[in-house]
This record gives sequence, structure tokens and C-alpha cells, in this order.
Amino acid sequence: MSDIRDREDAHEFRTEALSLWRITFAPLIWALHFVASYGATALVCAKGEAGAVEALLLGVILGTLVALALILWLGVQAWRQWDPRRDHEWENDKGTSEDRHQFLSHAGFLLAMISFIGVVYVALPVLLIGSCA
Amino acid sequence: MTRVHPLPTAEGPYPPTEEMLNAPVFEAEQERGAKELRAAWKTPEGWRYVTAVNNSEVGKWYSLTALAFMLIAGLLALAMRVQLAFPGMTFLDADRFNQFFTMHGSAMMFLFAVPMFEAISILILPAFLGARDMPFPRLSAYGYWCFLIGGIFVLGSLLFDAGPKAGWFMYPPLATKDEGIGPDIWLLGLSFIEVASIAAAVELIVGALKCRPPGMRVNIMPLYAWYVLVVGGMILFAFPPLIAGDFLFELERSFDWPFFDPTRGGDPILWQHLFWIFGHPEVYIVFLPSIAIAAMIVPTVAQRPIVGYSWIVLSAVGTGFLSFGLWVHHMFTTGLPQISLGFFSAASEAVVIPTGIQIFAFVATLMVGRVKLTLPMLWIAGALAIFVAGGLTGVMLAIVPFNWQVHDTYFIVAHLHYTLFGGMVFPVIAGVYYFYPFFTKKLMSEKLGLWAFWLIFSGFNITFLPMHLTGLMGMPRRVFTYPESSGWGWLNLISTLGAFIVAAGFAVFVYDLLRPKKAQGEIARNPWGAGTLEFSHDVPEEAWGARSVPHITSRYPLWDQPKLVERMDAGRYYLPDAPDHQRETIVTSVIDAKPVHVQRVTGPAWITILAAIFTGGAFIFPTFHIYTPAIICGAFAIVCVMYWLWTSTARPPKEEMREAGLGLRLPTYASGPQSVGWWGMWITMLGDATAFASVVFGFFFYWTARADFPPEGAAHPVGLWVAVAALAGVAAWALTVAARETNARGQVTLARLALVLAPLAAGAAGVAAWAAVRDLDPTSHVYPAILWALMVWLVVHLAAGVLMQGYCLAGSIFGKLTPRYDADLRNVTLYWHFMAVKALVTAAVLGLAPGWLT
Repeated sequence: MSDIRDREDAHEFRTEALSLWRITFAPLIWALHFVASYGATALVCAKGEAGAVEALLLGVILGTLVALALILWLGVQAWRQWDPRRDHEWENDKGTSEDRHQFLSHAGFLLAMISFIGVVYVALPVLLIGSCA
Repeated sequence: MTRVHPLPTAEGPYPPTEEMLNAPVFEAEQERGAKELRAAWKTPEGWRYVTAVNNSEVGKWYSLTALAFMLIAGLLALAMRVQLAFPGMTFLDADRFNQFFTMHGSAMMFLFAVPMFEAISILILPAFLGARDMPFPRLSAYGYWCFLIGGIFVLGSLLFDAGPKAGWFMYPPLATKDEGIGPDIWLLGLSFIEVASIAAAVELIVGALKCRPPGMRVNIMPLYAWYVLVVGGMILFAFPPLIAGDFLFELERSFDWPFFDPTRGGDPILWQHLFWIFGHPEVYIVFLPSIAIAAMIVPTVAQRPIVGYSWIVLSAVGTGFLSFGLWVHHMFTTGLPQISLGFFSAASEAVVIPTGIQIFAFVATLMVGRVKLTLPMLWIAGALAIFVAGGLTGVMLAIVPFNWQVHDTYFIVAHLHYTLFGGMVFPVIAGVYYFYPFFTKKLMSEKLGLWAFWLIFSGFNITFLPMHLTGLMGMPRRVFTYPESSGWGWLNLISTLGAFIVAAGFAVFVYDLLRPKKAQGEIARNPWGAGTLEFSHDVPEEAWGARSVPHITSRYPLWDQPKLVERMDAGRYYLPDAPDHQRETIVTSVIDAKPVHVQRVTGPAWITILAAIFTGGAFIFPTFHIYTPAIICGAFAIVCVMYWLWTSTARPPKEEMREAGLGLRLPTYASGPQSVGWWGMWITMLGDATAFASVVFGFFFYWTARADFPPEGAAHPVGLWVAVAALAGVAAWALTVAARETNARGQVTLARLALVLAPLAAGAAGVAAWAAVRDLDPTSHVYPAILWALMVWLVVHLAAGVLMQGYCLAGSIFGKLTPRYDADLRNVTLYWHFMAVKALVTAAVLGLAPGWLT
């Protein structure tokens, strides 16, 4: 019989013991990238001088690369923590700290994938359209 | 932080062992517990019934009211269909037709779709979680009464021929120039309801995070709770921009501050942005909780766990985020730069991925299970068919050139009804059939259900499928009639016939829902063989929610934990009694649902109804430009809310610890992040900060959109006063923090001194902010107007902060707030953290931005 004051869970799977926020990091990067791209475009198209559009395109591409790199890094982190190759367990439906731990990283990994796709989608118009008109 | 008197923490064995759970409970003990619980949770009788705050009562009223509003909005639609049945009809005149379509859309969205989510969640979320009630029952009741008053007010305007008539999105300048009071009714009446919606969202988020049963970790909580979390979060970020927009809009209507008037530097497009930043996520706010119902029904009909639980969580969270990147696809024709349109087109296509994933997960579950085609499943199948069709036209509409082509035609009407019927109406009806045995202890008729389904399903398609074609042939939305030569007549006639078939279907459904079912006798406790906790409910009805709060170790406890129900009934689990005849529920930790403390929840009261009536007055009087009674009502509303908080929340407990069952001893008081009140404050402040950010966004929007912002030679705020406001605001925050710290150390006198000085500093900040802009004329141009709006926003929030500080000071003096029991002060300090940021940002915009921008 264990006591409720024991904290062995917290040591074993310390990484996400603090909060649920971690799984939202990748979509948050998508949101920041989206707002920054949209805001910068609105500014440049309204106030920009000649040559500003080229600078904008370059800026959005660089921003996209940074965002993708961050999301990729989060995705790799989550993959390692999820580690489906170790126990071939996909459902994580038991009320144990291990399953909770793996579930959160699985969800985090999937969210990183969808955020990656989202960022790529948002960057496409810059490459394909490339003008304010 | 150092505490001289730390609060106790939970102690005892956890998790419970099989041996502990097998120990029998003596019969006398069982009876004592049941008797005490029955006394504590007794529903008030007779005319006092309206004072009930229990989630099962409030949830029922809420759902039935939303249903009634939906039926009224549906009748408006029928009247419009009659008018459009033939070319040149005169059943409705143009003005009445405008009022009807405006009210149809507004009522369906604000009085039916969103409130229905909240109603259903209030009704069933605690049951999914084996909780006794929501954490703040009186807040739900208050929200319900606000909703009822606001809804009757808004719909009632039609009877006086005074309804709003500018369409459900109220575009200026049409709506700002409207001579009647219609737009004011829309703005104030619906703002009032939006506040209630946010209140419910706070309640539901805290409920899903903190009121889960012991052991229900995040990886095994019902999918419905995941959806509630996501949708609650979306409401917090989607509704505030609309509230900020309403605030600006009403300032223009009442005081002629020209936010949307281009002749004085304003811009109607700002309203479109604020409206659709709300309006698009709104679609998903309506859709996700309904699809969450499907996520609960599908495993039951397939008699197996859902396939891809993590994938569905991904889908809910991902959709929640991506849906905020779509709003401009309602504004493709406003002349924004091509690249900007491209971003939104791309995001609109991307959101299809998570939406599709959840539908595939449902289909996969059905494929691997053994499906019984019950009524709820039939409605879910109908929902999937209709929603997929609506989703496909959505993909078409995300493409900019196609969107231009069909903009503002009946194609849009067809698309949106396909998504909303498939994504909301059908799943909700499926939910009604599925949960009906849970909330009424009766079953609905199989035969009538089939009739209702086929009438509504076929009628729906007969009405809306032809509309795609009507739209492609060029019929615009919102015209009250059309000429015969247009060639749209036969399509409109088909649509009108279909609308009557839908109406007949609803008549059958509503009759079956409301008819007395006395003859039916007692039903089985778990008629569908479901695996989730709500079907452990008591038959016949008991008001206590769960007889004892179980320890959960599986996603489908009724399937996987064989002795669960028997042990719950015997009071083998947690909180099996109520020695003080007080309503209580168990609060657990966010991730792993470890028991943290026992939360007292509030009981029946008149004060919530009074508070709602006065709040109603504060919103409704300004519609008629009557301000003194509005201010008096506002003051009384504040007094009511304070009275209710003072008398029934965070009072020092009689006993510090409570025997919670199974040897576990839990504290009865919590403060700071452990307490539900702190979470409520934190979540509310996130929403409030979003509204503030929307007003600040307005400032910078004008700067990008208008060359004359700020206008040349404009007067600017007085720098000195701006600086004083910033400093005094920060001082008020620092003093509040100091009060918290000194109080926790036991230096009560110092804490009280800080609580005397803090409101003074806050008052000084408010006066200084006013002094900074008082010489500017807000009616002359949008630049001074937006500065004034920021000042007003800051002063109102400072005033609320002052009331809170005063509340804590009074608490300290009268013994409600002590060094040990300081939850109120911690919550107020949290408010002031946000307040300090707001004061600094406002000061930066007032004092610094003009310098940077010119």
C-alpha cells in the first residue's frame, strides 16, 4: 500500500508532470508563424516602399525555416519520449503513469506533425503568389 | 513564498488496493451516508424550485430554453421560405424579411448553438467525471438566467417590429447608420449572452481539469472532456474579440465615436476582422462538442473502445488551433492583399486534415466493432453524410477564385446549413436520444424516432441540396423576393417544400421528447451497454450525482472495472456521506487526478437570479439610451455578486481535514493554484486579456489601414499623466503582492495597510489615465476615439480591481481572510498581475506609440 504523499511518479516521469501545456507548443509555433506572416504582409503591403516585398518574402521564408526547425525539434523530443519501438504499445489506455507519459508524448508528436504541415501550407502562398496586388 | 501556517495536504493510502475495495460497507453505514447525501443535495420544492443550482436542474432548463429559441428561429426560417416559394410573393415585406433573416442567424448561433453546447455539457460533464456537480454551480445558474433574460429580450424585439435587420454579422456602416434600436438590441443583448457563455466556458474548463475522479489521468479521460477543454479554450479566445468589437460599436452608436466611420478616419473592415476572428472559430466551437457526442456514442454502438484515442485528441486540439487561422476566408472580397488571402486559403485547406482524421477514427471504430444500428447511431450516420458534403463545399469555398464567384449567393447558404446540420443539429439530436435515459430515466420512442429521422434527413436534403444550384445560378442571399424571369422559381419552391418536411420532422421529435412517459415503467440502468461513467447513474433518480466518487483506472470503467457500479452504490469509494449536510465534490490534480482536497460547492439561492436580473438591467437600459437606471442596476449586480461570494465561497472551514473514505484524509480548504477559484480567475483573465488585446489590435489596425492615423497635427495624450498612470498602476500591483506576502507571514496589520494604499494607487492610476486624454475630442477622429476607448477599458478594470482589494481588506478585518485561509487574496493578486500588464501596455500605446508611428 502506497501513501498519497509518495512522489515516485514525479521522479520517474518528471518531464510532463508539470502541465498539459507542452502538447500545445507545436501548434503555438504554428500560430505565431501565422500571425507574424500575416502581420508582416499587412504592414509591408500597406506601408512598404519599393523592394519591401522582396524583403518580406525572404523574411517569411526565413521565419518558416525557423518555425519548421523548432517544430521538428519538438517532434523528435516527443517521438523519443513516446518510443513506440520499445514496447509496441499504441493505445496507452491504462491508468498508469507510464501510459499517461506515453500518451502525452504521442499526442505531442501528432500535433507536431499537423503543425509542420500547417506551417508549410501557410508558407506556400508566399512562394507561389509573391505580390501584394 | 514563506507561509507561517502552511495548509495541510492530503494524507492516507492511495491508490486504493483491491483488498480495501473488497472490504464490505455495513448496511447502517450505507444508510447513514445515503440519508446525509439526500439531505445535502435535496432539490428545492414548490416555487423555490427556481432557486436550484444543481447541474442536473440548470442543465435541463438551459437545454430546453435553447431548444425553444431554436424552434422560434426555425419558425422564422419557415416564414422566409414561404415568402420565397414563388417570385413576387408579398407574405413578408422587405423590412420584416430583413428582421427575420437577421434574427434567424443570430438566434441560431447565439441563442441555440453555443448555449446548447454549454447546456449539454453542464448536464452531462459531471456525470462523465463521476463528479457531484460543477465546481461553481451558482455561476452556471447565473449564466442560465442571464441567457434566458437576454434571449427573451433579443427575440422579443421582433414583436415590436424593432428587431435588428443588418444580417447576423451586423456590418457597418449599414448597422451603425441604422436609425432604429435594432443594432443596439443586437449588440447589448448578445454581449450580455456572450458574457454568460464565457462564464460557462470557465466553469467547464475548470470542471474538466480539476473535478475528475481520482485516478482518471489525462490519457483515460472521456473524449468528451477533451473536447470540452478545447472548446472552452476556444471560447476564451474567440468571444473576447467580438466583445471588444461590440464595445467599440456601441460607443459609436451611443456617443458617435467614429471607429467604423471612414469620413473621420474609421474603418468598417476592423469590425469585419473582429467579428470573424470570433465568427470562424465559432463554427468549430459549435461543431467540436457535437462531434464529441459522436465520440461517446460510436464506441457504445460498436461495443469496443474508440480506435485512435490519441489521434482524436490530436484532431480536437489541432482543429482548435487551426480554426483561428481561417477568419479572412469570410472576407475574400474586401480587397486585402493577395498574399494575405493566400495564407487564409491555405489554412482553410489545412484544417480539413484534423477534421478528416476524427471522422476516419469513427469509421474505423465502427468497422472493427459489431455495430447495432440504434437510433442514436442512425442520427450519427446521417450527421456524417451531411457533414462530409458540407465539408467538401467548404474545401471549394476555401479556394479564392471560386469563393469570389459564389460570394453572397445561396451556395453559401447551402454550404453553411450542410456543415451546421451535419456538424451540430444531427449529432445533438443523436445525443438527445442517447442521453435521454440518463437525464429523464425514460427512453424515447423507436418508431417516432425513425419518423423524425427520415423526415428531417430527407427534408433537409430537399431544402438545401437545390440551393447549391440556386446559388450557382446567381440568386443572392438575403433578398426578400425575386423576379419570375430569373428562373429560380422552381428551385425555391422545392426548397420551401423541403423546409416544411423538416418542420414536420421536428414536430415529431419535440412531441416525443416532451410527451409524458409515465406508462413506460422503470428502464434499465445502462440501456445501451455503454462503458463510460454517466451510465452508472441511479434509477430511479437521486440528486447527488454519484453515490460515491469512484477510483477510475480505465477509459471505459463500466466495461473494464467489473465491480465498479456495485461499489459506488455501496458507498465503498470516496465521499460516501455528508456529515455536515453540505454539498461537496472532490478536487484532483490536473494531469494524474490525484485527490487534492474536498471542495464545498454552493447550494440553492435567490441571489443568482437577482444578480442576473440586475445584470440584465445594466445591459438592457442602454439599448434605449437610458443610462442612470443602467448604472444603478450595474451597481446592484455587483453588490449581489459580492454578497454571494462573501457568504458562500472560500470561508474558513470548521474542520481542516475530512475523512474522504478508503482511509484518505483530505483538506477542506485550498488556496492559490490548488483551488478551483484560482483556476477560474486565471482562465477568466486569459479571456479578458484577449479582449484587451483586440482593442489594442484596433489601434495598430488603424495605423496600417489608414494613412491619416494619427492625423497630421493631432493632439496627443499628455506624457506626464501617462507616466503617472503607469507608475501608479504598477504601485497598486506591487502593494497587492505585498499584502499577499505579509499576510502569509502573519503580519496582518502590514497587509491591511497595503490593502488600504493599493486602491488609492489604483484610483490615482485611473484619474491620471483620464487626465492624459481629457483634452482630446473622441468624436472628432478615430485617433482620439481609440485612445479614449483604451482609457475607458483601463479605468473599468482598475475599478474592478479596487473592489477586489476592498473585498480582501474587509475579509481580513471580519475574519473571512486570515494568514492561513487566504484564497481570496491570492485570486485577487492574480487579477492584479494581469492588471499591471494592462496598465503598462495602455501607457505604452498612449504615451509611446504616437512617437514611434509619426
